[in-house]
Amino acid sequence: MTDTRDRIREAIADGSMGERLWLYATYHCNLACVYCLTESSPRIDRRRMLTPEAMARAAGEAADLGLTCVGITGGEAFMLPWMPEALADIASVLPTVVLTNATLFTPPLLDRLAPLARYDFAVQISLDSDQPSRNDELRGPRNFARVMDAIPRLRDHGIRVRIATTVEHQTEDELGRLCELHRALGIPDDDHVVRSVVRRGRAAVAGLGVDLGPTDVLPELTITADGAFLHPFAPTVRHGRTDIDLLVSRQTTPLTHAADKFIRIVSGLPAGADVVRNIR
Amino acid sequence: MSRLPLPSHDQAPPLARGWYRPDGCASALTRSLANAPDLMETLMPFLGVIMGESSIDLPTKELVILRVSQLNGCRYCLAAHRPIARAAGLSDEQLEGICGTGPGGALDERHRAILAWVDQVTLDAPGVTDQLAAQTLDHVRDDELIELTVLAGTITMLNQYCTAFDIPAPEAGQ
Repeated sequence: MTDTRDRIREAIADGSMGERLWLYATYHCNLACVYCLTESSPRIDRRRMLTPEAMARAAGEAADLGLTCVGITGGEAFMLPWMPEALADIASVLPTVVLTNATLFTPPLLDRLAPLARYDFAVQISLDSDQPSRNDELRGPRNFARVMDAIPRLRDHGIRVRIATTVEHQTEDELGRLCELHRALGIPDDDHVVRSVVRRGRAAVAGLGVDLGPTDVLPELTITADGAFLHPFAPTVRHGRTDIDLLVSRQTTPLTHAADKFIRIVSGLPAGADVVRNIR
Repeated sequence: MSRLPLPSHDQAPPLARGWYRPDGCASALTRSLANAPDLMETLMPFLGVIMGESSIDLPTKELVILRVSQLNGCRYCLAAHRPIARAAGLSDEQLEGICGTGPGGALDERHRAILAWVDQVTLDAPGVTDQLAAQTLDHVRDDELIELTVLAGTITMLNQYCTAFDIPAPEAGQ
């Protein structure tokens, strides 16, 4: 454990790995985005999820290992009914961001999220265009309207909101207008993440996105119900089968086991180009 | 047709790639195991030790591997190990004796005693007698019999694995 922790600290310090632990809460989603890495949708056969206990345990172990923050992704994390309380457990241990499509924020759910305002916690919402039709073409009907509705209500509950834009066909003008929109909503530029569609999962089947080379993504320990992976773009699903080319370990408990294998892989990788490609 | 994916070097998990040869190739068995890299990290070194030369010479190890594979009817292991056995120094006549397709006269007394032990352990372990154990120990030490018995069990496990998943047998020359 001490050796693994030391090696993680060194790897974070020299920039060869990220300091965030990613948790894939579930592969289930109420949307079916055209570029989804995990082929998530309302109709998937296997909704594989992490339990709230497993997520909280992983966050605690991550803190012990020297990781400094947690990202929760999926699938749609809020498909899981216990998510607000699980997020509070995790955010009480490490700064946390949860990625969401923001389409499920009913008033009762927002009330259950309100206690998170006391933590270093953010909700990162996907939004791909300032134009409803362009956004909804990628992310599903009425998505834009729901996001526009959710953002001020989250902020009213004291929750920090970030915006994530996945770039495929957008023009620079369009991205510029999107920035004006998020600023108007009270979200600063530092809380707007822009990244490429990655040609894996459903995006690969649809011929979208950019191919990833082995040095294109900053390694970040990523835990799913299928195992530990090299980064959050790794546990992709194509034709119903999880890709294993970036699988670190099928065992994730204790986290040290997976972290030890992760750091062995990271130490063998050449310096990355992820900063240039902005794929994080 | 394999019932498991057989990932190429680039499709395999990073920690499994070290078990592929420098040219990126690997046996179908290795490629199938790459689907479970954690298991592979434990299993591959073990297989290297149990199948490799020790105080027991390689021809004797290959004799056990082929005999057990023959008893279990494993096409993959027989096809993979016949050339290895030949390279280890076993003659075609000895191979026929081991696989039961020819007379066993080409085998010396030690090898015949080991085959008798392996046959009993593989087909009916509860039927092992003190007499058979004593007869076998006339030719090998305790530690060697332990190693040969663990090898026989390991090969049965691999035979079951390759047969159940229909791992494609290597063709001649592969």
